[in-house]
Amino acid sequence: MAKQLRYPTGVRPLLVAESARRRRAETRVVSVLERAGFDEVILPIIDYAEPYAATGAVESRRTYRFIDRDGDLVAIRSDFTPIVARALAPSLAGSQLPLRVFYRGDVIRYQPSRLGTNREMFQVGAEIIGDRWVQADIEALALVTAILHEFSVKPIIVVTDATIADRIAGSEDAASRVREALAAKRRGAIAELRDELPPTAADLIEKLAEGTATTRDLRDYQPTREAAERLDTVAAACPGCSVHLDDVDRTLGYYTGLRFRAYDSATRATIAQGGRYDTLYGRFGTSAAAVGFTITLDDLD
Amino acid sequence: MRIALPKGRLQNETLALFAAAGYEPPDEADLASRKLVFRRGGVEWIFVKDCDVPVYVEHGAADAGVAGLDQLLEHDSTAYQPVELPFGRCKMMLISAADAPPLHELHVPKIATKYPRIARTWLDSRGIRAEIVPLGGSVELAAVLNLTTHVIDLVETGETVRVHKLVMQDVVAEISPRLIVGKDVYRTHPAEMRELVARISAAASERIERITR
Repeated sequence: MAKQLRYPTGVRPLLVAESARRRRAETRVVSVLERAGFDEVILPIIDYAEPYAATGAVESRRTYRFIDRDGDLVAIRSDFTPIVARALAPSLAGSQLPLRVFYRGDVIRYQPSRLGTNREMFQVGAEIIGDRWVQADIEALALVTAILHEFSVKPIIVVTDATIADRIAGSEDAASRVREALAAKRRGAIAELRDELPPTAADLIEKLAEGTATTRDLRDYQPTREAAERLDTVAAACPGCSVHLDDVDRTLGYYTGLRFRAYDSATRATIAQGGRYDTLYGRFGTSAAAVGFTITLDDLD
Repeated sequence: MRIALPKGRLQNETLALFAAAGYEPPDEADLASRKLVFRRGGVEWIFVKDCDVPVYVEHGAADAGVAGLDQLLEHDSTAYQPVELPFGRCKMMLISAADAPPLHELHVPKIATKYPRIARTWLDSRGIRAEIVPLGGSVELAAVLNLTTHVIDLVETGETVRVHKLVMQDVVAEISPRLIVGKDVYRTHPAEMRELVARISAAASERIERITR
């Protein structure tokens, strides 16, 4: 009886007024993308889980997975970016690059700790494929800015380079601990790392944790010089963006460079996020650099 | 700015620390009024149960707060933990009845705890197979009454353990309270949040210096 009343946690229908608002929002985002020369691709909502293992997509424990009637492990779409890569990689060889595509639809993510937040989210996203230059990074950020401008949102766009922590740490083993410490900003954990890293690296990590590190500091350190220069170019071309080098995630995921998030300054919610993933397409057969973003409309409309 | 403070064990020390950092937290008289929200010195102070502080901060209902590492781990909190506070330190321990064998000698031991997530992570890291029995409080009683052979719980002075003739078998984690700051607000209001961190950090070190001098 109870199940006749309620829905599974994190999903709900949109009724007439909400649906109309959602569709209007969707149309506005899509029209900006179409004007900018992006073409739509439509992607399956379920796919085999196996090709995505080790791509750094949304963790498997946050993905709904099941065994289909043929006995294959199948996952419900939880992250568009690797699905776009798998769909497009085989046909890239004969295409004229860069390719500009967009997609829209639901993703479903199991969110254990975020009570009351949606598990089914409607996203529109875009990818520039086959362009490894900084101009593509700038184009992606300009598009996000233009879309949010459409909604009269005053966005705060925070940019960084996802690989900074790893470049400073050097080894993969040290990198995971540096990430963990920076992602929680735990002073104790950062102090413990000091003994294991070269002094310059340890100083930089400490500055990152304090939030006082600048791209100038990173330019002075050989392993991060290139990333810092690129970030400076991006920041100079994106007046609404601010560089937050201390914005480090626990895991790197598939990101290989630029990483950004856009917040609504009024609600403080993350409304768009994205970055660069130059090795993702290679895992599906054809190497191609790519940069892209997704906008979650539930947070916007 | 809205700051969530924990009622109970950490409350008085936390209020003193914020006062030492130049903030105007509510005082005893305010708290006796049964109000839960106080506006003072440009800050909105809310008082919630200690286990709820990470929830408020995680969802952005509060910008910052004070929470024990036990609660942060149990909620798998993503909030920043920039300052470790110099009070309220304790240990999360594996405790057993006096005659209970060590965990690894039992086939599938039962462990009572208020912290099922922390217990599971710790047991997995040790390769120990065990059944977790989640309880809401007075967890030691489970071992006293033989509901389970072991419990995992916080130990501050060890008095409860001694009184019930239980045995501390192992340390699961060192627990300290932390200033926590929501990730999103740290990005959208960096200046305010960094000032809060700097002031609390300075007050905390000053306190450590005073104690050690």
